[in-house]
Amino acid sequence: MAVDFDRSIIGSEFDHTVFAPVTKEAIVEYARTSGEPAPNDVTAPPTFVVRLRGHRWMPENLPKNLGRAGFDAGKDIEFGAPVRVGDVLTAVSTVHDIYEKTGRTGSMAFVVLRTLVTNQRDEHVAIIDQKMMFR
Amino acid sequence: MILDLHTHSDASEDSRAPVETYMKWLIRKHDVLPIDGIVLTEHRQWDPQADYRQLEDKYGLLILRGAEVETDYGHVLVYGVNDDITGHFDFTNVRLSAQELIPAVARMGGLAVPCHPGRPTIGLCEHYEHKPPIEGVVAVEALNGGSRRGENERVQHLIERYGYHAFGGSDSHLVSFIGICATEFDDDIRSIGDLVNALQGGGYRPLDFRDRLKKDA
Amino acid sequence: MHVRFEEVDVGHDLHTLSLTLSGEQVKAYAVAARMPGARFMSDAEARAEGLPGQIVPGNMSLALFSRVIAESFPGATLKKLSATFRGLVHPGRPFVVHGVVTEKHRTDHGDLVECDLVLESSEGDRWVTGTATVQFRPRT
Repeated sequence: MAVDFDRSIIGSEFDHTVFAPVTKEAIVEYARTSGEPAPNDVTAPPTFVVRLRGHRWMPENLPKNLGRAGFDAGKDIEFGAPVRVGDVLTAVSTVHDIYEKTGRTGSMAFVVLRTLVTNQRDEHVAIIDQKMMFR
Repeated sequence: MILDLHTHSDASEDSRAPVETYMKWLIRKHDVLPIDGIVLTEHRQWDPQADYRQLEDKYGLLILRGAEVETDYGHVLVYGVNDDITGHFDFTNVRLSAQELIPAVARMGGLAVPCHPGRPTIGLCEHYEHKPPIEGVVAVEALNGGSRRGENERVQHLIERYGYHAFGGSDSHLVSFIGICATEFDDDIRSIGDLVNALQGGGYRPLDFRDRLKKDA
Repeated sequence: MHVRFEEVDVGHDLHTLSLTLSGEQVKAYAVAARMPGARFMSDAEARAEGLPGQIVPGNMSLALFSRVIAESFPGATLKKLSATFRGLVHPGRPFVVHGVVTEKHRTDHGDLVECDLVLESSEGDRWVTGTATVQFRPRT
């Protein structure tokens, strides 16, 4: 499967979501189930930001011959201001890269999606690069 | 002389290891990892401008460069990359013909050798089960630091049957995995040309330092 | 008790986690992380997707990396975290999460420590690998 696509989709924005205010319940539940310690009940553990799934979590204009349903192949996250109860977070997502490689399970296409997260004070909260693998 | 022939820096998209941090780590760990140098074999790319001579001088370790490319017989390490080779083969193509690549690289002054041959799908062993052997293979990576249980062991049969030389490499994508497997050469290696000649000629063997590292922990 | 930057050495092993996650733990995390995909809910649902069984979300492995950092360096701040998911992690199978300090440096952005992180099976198969950058409080 050769991935053939219009490279102009690289950099294109596919989602812009403003989330409801972060609740204490969400923070406590995330910390409890992940085992990741939160500094306190009003500040989220760092990886809490991965729960931000916008209106569209995948772009609509991906190449059609990528393969069947994707798998999470990895993440790079840069953390800024911590997430606190009451924060109103905004996530803007773009297509960052698309490439092919081969591995143990055969030929794979990778789509890297970049999400910039800010809070109501326009502070940088996180940059999340998510690699989705299709085969 | 001991070299790690298969390494990835942060130039490869799935590695997080800066070259200088590799150097510092090797200096610090020299008593358990007596590595004299590394070969950077980045995935599917070749940067003709990359130059690590300053780091070589600073740390006293050899830093050579090659590439890891993807073919219809699995992944292949290419040493002695030059303009002729990159003019003829697109390293970003994940469907290169190994039957064409390996002899052609040798004609153009380099050397292409299959890596992690015991790995499913991207290793030579599985392809040899139903395809003819590749002309011009002189060596295979018998010891790969990133392989899973059983994958390195599968390679022995290949070596015995076809008479390939055997070398080792860490396949490191993280700093702390550099040098865990390597290759010991009888002769000194000072350049990529020396490496190509040595790999063609023999007089080397794979080394496994993983047990040493466990004892050191 | 907080760890001081001066107390951390390159080569310093991080805190190790030895775990076997249950299917229920994985499901609970997936719900809390707003990832209600069938593959994370049960063996039957995962098999219906063509998988060998229920799988642990990659994000949960990421959270375990963050936990190792927090337990190794109390009081420090996680600035960057990366993970490459190299193999499927299944509940019910024991694994170990561990890491090592690979670099430390003083920068304009603070005192930083770099770490390698690995999640591997009890037989040594590396399912998840990654790195972290940790910022320490400046000396007062």
